[in-house]
Amino acid sequence: MILKPQRNAMPRFSPRLIAAALLLAGPAVQLSAHHSFAMFDPSKPMRFEGTVKTLQWTAPHAILWVQAGKVGQYEAGLWSLELPTSPGNLSKMGWSRTSLKPGDKVIVEINPIRDGRRAGQFKKVTIVATGQTLTVGAIPGAQPPK
Amino acid sequence: MKISILLPLLAGWALSPVPAVAAEPVNRAPTAQDWAAIASLPDLSGVWSPGPLDRFPPGSKTAPPWKPDQATQIAALQRQEDEGNPKNIYVNCLPEGLPSSVSQTLNSVEFLVTPGRVTILGEFDGNRLRRIWTDGRAHPADPDPTFSGHSIGHWEKDALVVDTIGFLPQVFIPMGQGVGLPNNGDMHVEERISLTGPDSLRIDLIVHAPKVLTGPWRVSRTFTRHRERQYDLVESSCRQGDYFDDVDARGNAVFTSIPKDAGGAPLPPDQAGTPSP
Repeated sequence: MILKPQRNAMPRFSPRLIAAALLLAGPAVQLSAHHSFAMFDPSKPMRFEGTVKTLQWTAPHAILWVQAGKVGQYEAGLWSLELPTSPGNLSKMGWSRTSLKPGDKVIVEINPIRDGRRAGQFKKVTIVATGQTLTVGAIPGAQPPK
Repeated sequence: MKISILLPLLAGWALSPVPAVAAEPVNRAPTAQDWAAIASLPDLSGVWSPGPLDRFPPGSKTAPPWKPDQATQIAALQRQEDEGNPKNIYVNCLPEGLPSSVSQTLNSVEFLVTPGRVTILGEFDGNRLRRIWTDGRAHPADPDPTFSGHSIGHWEKDALVVDTIGFLPQVFIPMGQGVGLPNNGDMHVEERISLTGPDSLRIDLIVHAPKVLTGPWRVSRTFTRHRERQYDLVESSCRQGDYFDDVDARGNAVFTSIPKDAGGAPLPPDQAGTPSP
């Protein structure tokens, strides 16, 4: 089931800023790892429970793969939740390759892809067992964009 | 014994005709003095995180002085930027080149100062690798065009002054994070990389692009130094995110392509087909 989005699950940055952050590394063309996040819908944030399959620790964008049961209109299955940046910057924000482990029960907050497939833009995760939350913010030490 | 064998050989070599063409220039081996001299240069060590991003919308005082012909293209690009769907600076993981690799990067950089050369390494494979020759050489008369161009530099007190030519005409001049227009040829970039405090650095750029700009465009970016190991640069391959780790039928670890939507977002394998309503 869809959990009601929490207030603090709303984007911390403007869509333009997020789009900028997405371009962290490189490129944007069909089938390229680096791309804009315009396919994700920030007006329909979702929050649901799932189980971590893997945290894919790759550039230019890390990907959280989460297995979930039926969520609203979505059939049960695997979700791809794309983070807006790379391991280099995530490390500077306190993340690591093992921040989320296979089998971890989690609550994820995402912006779903507009076309209805089980994919989305990662915004926040809460590890059920510990209550720990992880988000993607500004790079510590680097000042935020104007 | 050895000398007696060598002498006739050396004599023969010395008597051979002088080659008709000049010898290829070489990069001479650095001496102990060359290495020692680096200690007196500005200390650019550490990892440098980029500071505030600027944007250069048309009509703003920070905008490149575009020629009138660029106006309609710029309006369309600005719409892409405003819609959060910019597409044209970063293409297929190709390097963004100068000036974007300085003015638009969101990743840290480091400077390696060695005799006769400064190497700038960014956090993305070849996307942000630059070699700046400080050995006194001139630009080649006709350099092969590249994303980051051919750079020569010299030290002026606390600054490394760099001159770069030889850009691919496709290299963008940015008007925002994700959009810009190609320089269309003959771009020349002047650059001053200077320490502005114990852990602060500024890069001032002057971009000359006579095919698309009415005059020089001046743009700057600031960086903050970090020595915490958490900030160490890591390997980042721009294409690795196109694949997930897999094991093939023979038990070999392999990369398998991740299905993508039309815009490049990763999809679960069972969602690769037509989107459901």
